[in-house]
Amino acid sequence: MMRPIFSQHRLAALMALCMSLAVAACSTSVTRMDTGEVKDLSGAWNDTDSQQVSEEMIRDVLDRPWIGEFSRAENRQPAVIVGEVSNLSHEHINVNTFVADVERALINSGKVQFVASSTERQEIRGERKDQDLNASEATRKAMGQEKGADFMLKGTINTIIDASGKTQLRFYQVDLTLISLADNRKVWIGQKKIKKLVERSNLRF
Amino acid sequence: MKVGHVVAACRIVLLLGALALAGCASYSDSFGVVERNLSSRQYDAALQDIEKEADSKTGRALYLLNKGMVLRMKRDFTGSNQALEAAKAEMERLYAASVSENALSFVVNDATVSYAGDDYEQVLVHLYMALNYLELGQPGDARVEALQVDIKLREIGEKIPGNKFTEDALSRYLTGMIYEDLGEWSDAMIAYRKAYEAYQKYQANYGLAMPDLLKRDLLRLARRQGLTDEVAYYSKEFGIEPPHEEDRATEHEGELVFILNNGLAPIKREKVVATSGPPHSVAVELASHKPVSPAPPVLVNIALPYYESRPNGVLGARVSISGRQASTQMMENIDAIARASLDARMPAITARSVARAVSKVAIQESVDRAGGRDNDLAVELLSSFVVRVAAMATERADTRSWLTLPANVQLARLALPPGSYTVRVDLLGAGEQVIASSEYPEVIIGEKRKTYLTQHWVSN
Repeated sequence: MMRPIFSQHRLAALMALCMSLAVAACSTSVTRMDTGEVKDLSGAWNDTDSQQVSEEMIRDVLDRPWIGEFSRAENRQPAVIVGEVSNLSHEHINVNTFVADVERALINSGKVQFVASSTERQEIRGERKDQDLNASEATRKAMGQEKGADFMLKGTINTIIDASGKTQLRFYQVDLTLISLADNRKVWIGQKKIKKLVERSNLRF
Repeated sequence: MKVGHVVAACRIVLLLGALALAGCASYSDSFGVVERNLSSRQYDAALQDIEKEADSKTGRALYLLNKGMVLRMKRDFTGSNQALEAAKAEMERLYAASVSENALSFVVNDATVSYAGDDYEQVLVHLYMALNYLELGQPGDARVEALQVDIKLREIGEKIPGNKFTEDALSRYLTGMIYEDLGEWSDAMIAYRKAYEAYQKYQANYGLAMPDLLKRDLLRLARRQGLTDEVAYYSKEFGIEPPHEEDRATEHEGELVFILNNGLAPIKREKVVATSGPPHSVAVELASHKPVSPAPPVLVNIALPYYESRPNGVLGARVSISGRQASTQMMENIDAIARASLDARMPAITARSVARAVSKVAIQESVDRAGGRDNDLAVELLSSFVVRVAAMATERADTRSWLTLPANVQLARLALPPGSYTVRVDLLGAGEQVIASSEYPEVIIGEKRKTYLTQHWVSN
């Protein structure tokens, strides 16, 4: 006599599997983390990358001679403006976080002044126009007194992806350049490279 | 209670559970309401219906894809991108095959496996996100999507070597336009070349001819980049005179890129291939070890999906702006791509269905035997009956697909001096007969920039 395709044990096991599937429930859990802690989930650009880039850039930009050279020549601190940091990578990266980090470090160093960016300026000009109409004579700020920037901070984020099957190699390169507005000279170039190996899982429950 | 009772009862519970999981209507049947709302442009009502699927565990990707598509019909491009981005994340999560879902699909049906999207659907998410960003005036973000398409296509090409869909021509062409808009000429040239290769494959696989737009773009860009050999090659290949040096008068002109998402993608229906009676080999096996008890005949059916195109009278569109006119050209035939994709998968789907039929026969047979030992006629009959109903009812074809995609995508480009325009779009049926018209006021054309405008037409 031939054996049946499904034995009692196999059926029971299958049943148990189906039941556990139905029972599997989940509830939200929240764990507070230190912002310096490294936690990689998908392999995409995350807070750790942003922090690593800003730290590297800050260390580099403050160490270089361009600040001293400018201060000696002009007898004042350089004024810097943030231009566009264009995302040429394959991910929707928020560049504002590390640009803000770099900006903060430069201002707090006391060696550099920052000028509001073009979008911020529009808002401030609107406010000044409003002051012109509504603010008292003593507190009104005049137009045409803005401080012009000496340098512009620009940059790019690039990625190179190499993938085979479930393995992916991601290479990020962030370049920041400080360009003199007077003569288009590049006074500083900062670069940070990040390389990640992402292995995707083939199975899940 | 005897152990046999418990086992029999458990089996019934299991099969009833499976029955509940499978539901009664197939996925595509429940889409009729949404479709009617779309054709009458009741997008909010359609969204409400789609929202009912929000908690679906296995259909989350589809829910997000449909939501994203309807939101963009409503011209809520930011909302659409949020939904489509979430859909991408869900599809990425489903890259890993689920052990439990696949085990369940072996006894219930294919629809118990989370829907991760067909290859072409996974590519088109990026295309529509790119279009959303372009309509929002963010070519930089559209460029990100273009790069992701490239990665996705490389992955697909590697995964299934004999796959017909390894290149998405429209995505490549759009990539070229995005690069051109950003002034990255050499990348644009590469993208157009890839589109050229992709359309050669489209011609062979789906019978879609190379669009004239692409021919002219290839020639224009090859000339611009000083690739004289390539200019000569394309000129000979297409039988088009190479373009002259760019005209000074049109140098500052911008361009309107009009995209018609025409109709709706084909819908999967179910056909029941075989009913009642197990496959021959199983019948022989059953006869051999079950000679005594005359149990009711074993019932088995095999349900398979097939595609049904949706009727649509619109063949093309004519765009008119202040005296200038352009007609749309067919750029992507999603209907044909979907059909070819299902054809390629059909052997595997059929094999799974047959295997499932065998396992369902085995379950029915094993329940009958367990009942026979108990000598309790009521339990025996009831379990035999339930197990048969469940086996029949759970065998449903997997009719899931991204139903809010258009049947085909058409495109027209129109060069215009910078300014604000009212764009008139006439949808044309057979014999150039105007089926519907619409006007888009205050479309801004920037200097040397492309302005994108899409319309999704769903016929009644």
